[in-house]
Amino acid sequence: MSFRRILVLAGILLILFLGMYTWNQRTRMLDDLAANVGLELTGAVLAPLRALQDSTREFWQRYFDLVNVREENRRLKTRLEDLEARLEAHGESLAELERLRQLVDLPGDPGWKPVGARVLAGRMGPNAVLSSIVINRGYVTGGRPNTPVITNKGLVGRILRASPHTANALLLTDPGSRVAVAAQTSRAFGILTGRGSGRPLEVNFVRRDASIKQGDILITAGLDQKFPKGIPAARVVSVAPSDYTQFLAVEAEPLVDLHHLEEVVLLEPTGIVRLPDEPDDAPAEFVGPPAPPKKAAP
Amino acid sequence: MSGMRDLCWWLVFAMTAVVMQALFPGLDVFVAGLLILLQERDYKNMLWLVPLFILLQEGMGTRLFGGTVLLYMTTAVFFRLGQWLFEVESFLFVVLLSAALIVPYYALDWLMAPLQNLAFNMDDTLDKCLFQALFLPCAWRAFTLTRRWTKNDEAAA
Repeated sequence: MSFRRILVLAGILLILFLGMYTWNQRTRMLDDLAANVGLELTGAVLAPLRALQDSTREFWQRYFDLVNVREENRRLKTRLEDLEARLEAHGESLAELERLRQLVDLPGDPGWKPVGARVLAGRMGPNAVLSSIVINRGYVTGGRPNTPVITNKGLVGRILRASPHTANALLLTDPGSRVAVAAQTSRAFGILTGRGSGRPLEVNFVRRDASIKQGDILITAGLDQKFPKGIPAARVVSVAPSDYTQFLAVEAEPLVDLHHLEEVVLLEPTGIVRLPDEPDDAPAEFVGPPAPPKKAAP
Repeated sequence: MSGMRDLCWWLVFAMTAVVMQALFPGLDVFVAGLLILLQERDYKNMLWLVPLFILLQEGMGTRLFGGTVLLYMTTAVFFRLGQWLFEVESFLFVVLLSAALIVPYYALDWLMAPLQNLAFNMDDTLDKCLFQALFLPCAWRAFTLTRRWTKNDEAAA
């Protein structure tokens, strides 16, 4: 094949590619096909391997547990005594908290149902340019696009694209991630934006007169209708007046270690919308941090 | 028998590539398979393997569909151009091809970033391309060594 023919062929292929690219951008048919086939096959390959890895690790840990059981038992007994003493000291506070909760009867949010998921991998392949993870839940198992992803420590991100049983989740640190947040104490509002892996998050549009300070916890504001209100998202690391805008320049760090995620929880929207004046006799399901244990009857 | 071995080899290759890509973020392992297909002129397997590689790569990625198609097309064009000057099954050719592929890998990220409104980090992209260029000859060598097992029957015949 001559050089000229190769160039002509390359030109034709490029034109065909551009046609395919623009057609796909309009219809998203190829994206859906790639997600349904490629992402699903990736999940099918990785899920059994992840399960095997977990069982091997568990076996190995059990072996070490047996080897070190005497030493660990001694340590645990000491720790148990310490914790019992602490529990005794905090018992009254827990009982008070329980009483106050019942008194206030804070409603949970029935609009979101928690579903557990396992992290299969981080970014995969040259096309994975966004900060993302692959999880073993897809659109038929509770992982539809835009579903919030959390852990017990706080917000992780949201589902970006999904196949039937596998999904890609966009992390908070990605520059494309935007979350409406509020400071837990001062209730100053802002938009939490990622700036790339390894870099602090940015909180945009925080008013200059807001009393936000270093160490404040930022929670989801729920104003974007994408995340339930009240999920801890980040901790403020620096606050300074911006040189360029009329807002404060606030930097924050995620509460969750996004580099070492193993399990996450998806908050699947149930479609139930709570009206402000809706009567509710049954205790609402609590979504968020676990409630403190009930005090044992004497 | 050889056909069955060949099929098994390609399935194991695809699974290995998925696992390796899970372990090393940003790496393209499937391009080593494409290179082997081009070297062997195995057009029959290419018909189903290349679409499979593209679907897997695009499915696990986070960009809009198309990047892998362009990348693999460029790889094939570079391969054809290199065919005139080099022995395509030599290690030197693969090293040079890997080095040349830095350009399309980098260009693709640079091109797709504004098209899809993505952030583009020059240093990260360059690191990824260099890592890919170092990885490809080693992966190609390892895969071609294991590939000989599927050819034993043909050699004996």
